[in-house]
Amino acid sequence: MEKARLYETTFIVNASLDDTQVDAVIGRVQDVIIKNGGTANALNKWGRKRLAYSINKKTNGFYVNIEFTAPAPLLASLERTFQLDEMILRFLTIQLDQKAIAARAKAQPAAAAPPAAEPAPVQPREPLFKEPAADKKS
Amino acid sequence: MPRKKRTCRFCDAKEVYIDYKDDKRLSRFVTEQGKIIPKRITGTCAKHQRQLVKAIKRARHLAMLPFVSDSIR
Repeated sequence: MEKARLYETTFIVNASLDDTQVDAVIGRVQDVIIKNGGTANALNKWGRKRLAYSINKKTNGFYVNIEFTAPAPLLASLERTFQLDEMILRFLTIQLDQKAIAARAKAQPAAAAPPAAEPAPVQPREPLFKEPAADKKS
Repeated sequence: MPRKKRTCRFCDAKEVYIDYKDDKRLSRFVTEQGKIIPKRITGTCAKHQRQLVKAIKRARHLAMLPFVSDSIR
């Protein structure tokens, strides 16, 4: 059995989707983590933000940050999910090292041990490829 | 008149990790064009400059910081 490590992934979802669709995308990502033997520890939605430069002609994105523990092979499937999902503009997965953990513990000693965010129940998803209506202003 | 020696502000604050998510803070270490400011200007120590550079590049990848600022393009 591989050693499970602590990772953190941040990805940008197309902001022209509405909130339920964004949640669906997030759910899909969480599914992948759980199905491959990982556990999601924390889910942070930073919400819609302006991108510093346009990605696929989009100027806004919905940022999501998930922290999870997982065995290393999960990352390959996670990356594949990200690449196949057209609603995900960018992603970055990093391994949290000791320094990062220490720094975070220092920053928020009280909230150091959040209850393991239980994976949101998985509903049937709406069709994967629904072209979003022309860029809404968000 | 000799200029006052700058100290590394990360060392002063006893920082052990520079987070890529903190884009407001990172933006202080890039020029208006979006270039990373060399450590000889900011006074950051080598160790923290390396961490800083990594954080800035991660933030750029996630479009939190520009590669090239809008005013140049």
